[in-house]
Amino acid sequence: MTIDFSRTAGFSRTAGFSRRELLAGTSALGLAGLVGASQQASAQAKTSLSVRIERDLGSLDPAFRTGPQDANVFRSVYQRLMSYKTGSAEIELDAASEVKQVSPTQIDFTLKPNQMFTDGFGEMTAEDVKFSFERFFLKTVDGKESPYKADWAGLTGVEVTGKYTGKIMLSKPNAGLFAIALVDGSGSIVSQKAIAARGAEHSTRPVGSGPYQVVSVEKQRGATLKRNPAYSGPAPAYEEINVRFIQDPKTAELALRAGELDFAVLPPAIAEPLKNAPGVSVEAHPGLAYLWLGINMEKPPFNDIRVRQAIRLALDVDQMLLAGFNGRAPRLNALIPPPINGHWADAPVYKRNVAEAKALLAAAGQTSIKTRITVLNQPTFQSMALVAQAMLKEVGIDAAVDVQEGGAFWKVGEGEAGKNVEMFMMRFNGKLDPSFLMQWFVKGQIGIYNWQRFDNPEYEKLAADAIVELDPVKRAAIAIKAQQVMDQSAAFVWLTNDVAFAARRSNVKPAFLPGAIDWQLDRFSVVSS
Amino acid sequence: MAETVRYLASRLVTTFIIVFGAMLLLFTLSAIVPGDPASALLGPQATPEYRARFITEMGLDQPLLVRFWRFFSNLLSGNLGTDVLSGKPVAQIVGAVLPSTFILTFSAIGLAVLIGVPLGCFAAIRRGSLFDHILAFISVAFIAIPNFVIAIFLLLIFSIWLNWLPVLGTGKSGDFLDQAQRLILPTLALALGWIGFIARLVRTSMLEVLGENYIRTSRAYGLSESLITYKYALKNACIPTIAILGMGIGRLLGGAVLVEIVFSRPGLGRLIFDAISTRNYPVLQGAVFVVVLIFVITNLVVDLSYSAIDPRIRRQAGREAMPR
Repeated sequence: MTIDFSRTAGFSRTAGFSRRELLAGTSALGLAGLVGASQQASAQAKTSLSVRIERDLGSLDPAFRTGPQDANVFRSVYQRLMSYKTGSAEIELDAASEVKQVSPTQIDFTLKPNQMFTDGFGEMTAEDVKFSFERFFLKTVDGKESPYKADWAGLTGVEVTGKYTGKIMLSKPNAGLFAIALVDGSGSIVSQKAIAARGAEHSTRPVGSGPYQVVSVEKQRGATLKRNPAYSGPAPAYEEINVRFIQDPKTAELALRAGELDFAVLPPAIAEPLKNAPGVSVEAHPGLAYLWLGINMEKPPFNDIRVRQAIRLALDVDQMLLAGFNGRAPRLNALIPPPINGHWADAPVYKRNVAEAKALLAAAGQTSIKTRITVLNQPTFQSMALVAQAMLKEVGIDAAVDVQEGGAFWKVGEGEAGKNVEMFMMRFNGKLDPSFLMQWFVKGQIGIYNWQRFDNPEYEKLAADAIVELDPVKRAAIAIKAQQVMDQSAAFVWLTNDVAFAARRSNVKPAFLPGAIDWQLDRFSVVSS
Repeated sequence: MAETVRYLASRLVTTFIIVFGAMLLLFTLSAIVPGDPASALLGPQATPEYRARFITEMGLDQPLLVRFWRFFSNLLSGNLGTDVLSGKPVAQIVGAVLPSTFILTFSAIGLAVLIGVPLGCFAAIRRGSLFDHILAFISVAFIAIPNFVIAIFLLLIFSIWLNWLPVLGTGKSGDFLDQAQRLILPTLALALGWIGFIARLVRTSMLEVLGENYIRTSRAYGLSESLITYKYALKNACIPTIAILGMGIGRLLGGAVLVEIVFSRPGLGRLIFDAISTRNYPVLQGAVFVVVLIFVITNLVVDLSYSAIDPRIRRQAGREAMPR
């Protein structure tokens, strides 16, 4: 058989081919075709955006979301009465033409007309707002209670006064309602008709009125969003958004380098080398999360405040951050980090003092303590725990590092088992409200998330006061006082508010709230060259 | 015929016992392992009442044997259970990732056979040659290097440096070309170790078979060397390889998790890994059941196939199945 490939595939000879050579040749051509197609695809004009989520999507129903990854998708699918401005903690109107706090317990709203839900579910009305908010707090959905019930604490109901108007009624003032609920995921307005029609399926086929609509959600893959042509606000920059679940940060890094991914938040060790990659930009943003080393105040010998103070003085937080975050994360000295109202700027910055730590232990009658630091099986925590272990050893505290995987770790401080916790490292995500951060350290959280078993009546009152105080200045003073009470307990060694490394293709401008946990996918834009 | 039926019946009984035993082991381990699905799945804001209800809905408040009984009684009606979190049937969740797992597994094993068998044959024929030594070195290297390490290197070379192939996922549904492109590197990452393994196995089997009397007799009859090698020797030398392939398919079905993670592909391995991490027991049980079932069925098919290749095995198996 003689085949002339010269005209079709760039071969420069006419040759006789055996069957084996022909098979090899066609295979190579097939591979070359596949490869060529790949290059062509990447060269096409960019109308779509590809972003990485590090956890798989759980539910796109706001009341049953499973984490920030869900909210980052549906924030562009549903409207809220108000939303955050692009990349800012400031609030602007969204679905509402007016929102007015007429009293500490009443918020009136008026919807803009002609805001249509997708898939033919009609116009958004005040009845949809009532349904959306009340299903968090006042009703169960198919017998299930929303895990985000606390976001709407104090809600007694939404009174519908007209097609587009209504009143949000509270039993007591809730200063955090705007930041935690109204402008965040729990303030999303869903279609009552769509929920009734789709039932559980609504969690993967949501109906909204926002800038994007969900085309598909696939397990372990992510979601595809398409621009909603019926959206009444400004059209978003990208026609399509591919939200990709990429578990491994290294894969995300390679995909960014290859141009297959446009945006990802990455850990420092992965993100830093990307700074030199062509076509990729990396920016560090102080986080809103808070990491700390906690000490169980109930368990001997840690029930002696001198032991806890000694631990605080034995540790060099900066060295721990160097190990855990390559020194790139800002140090935290109290619960509430800078952008949030109530940040305690003058909080004491404890310096390592081995002599004083030893003296405190001696005064407490403790010259040799055997203990353990329980941490998640993540490199950041393990590295910091190892540094802490070495520093504690110097003052006579022999601490084993107890590494637990996720499923087991979160069980450690629960119920009666929580009494046996000694030291641990924890990370919680924050929001732009002081009460959201303070809520985990009240008495009612002992045996749940208050692993320090911190029980202080003064803190309890301050935390309650912070929820109902609507004056921002007075609220900040309350939050600072609460942090001082925490500091006096010496049960908390604050480490960092985390750092988010946002890596992006240079032609993409991302949009997210301070901390880079909450994204505004509909506000991502194209950077013109 | 009766012997074959008896043999099949005995294998089916064995299959059922294996599935039953594996699931019993899984349920027991689930009960022993520390960790709480309510904490892992519901997040920090869930109320204690909702957490308690969640545990009840998962059936974890019931004794182990009751849960085990429920699982198998549901199975009889084709129900693998329900994922309490999403409200979706577990069968639907497993079904969504199964095609990707099948495609990757069979591509990898297929490629390994396509390359490994000829290499093994060639090495046996050229025993002691330079090619044989080089192949031995490369085979051991491929076997020894973990497949996720190979995966990372393949990505660096073909996706980053050469920019030939994509990094992520399985491709757009309905776009065969896109899906084929995204299958190349994960298939290679999984197949390379198996290529080495199969090549070594075939080489050893071939050397053994080539020393048999019937091969010597064939040569004495003047049959061509290629006919002896590829028709008579290879057929018998392949029997151990086929047995290993059955194991290999079973292992890759649930065990390709690291490659699936590196290439960000959905798959049964990842589903099981995530379900363990979050203590999502209904999904874990359903997915493991499917893996075990496919594993035993694959091995049953493999057993039957090599008894078809070599009638002596069929006769021996039939005798073993008969009551004594």
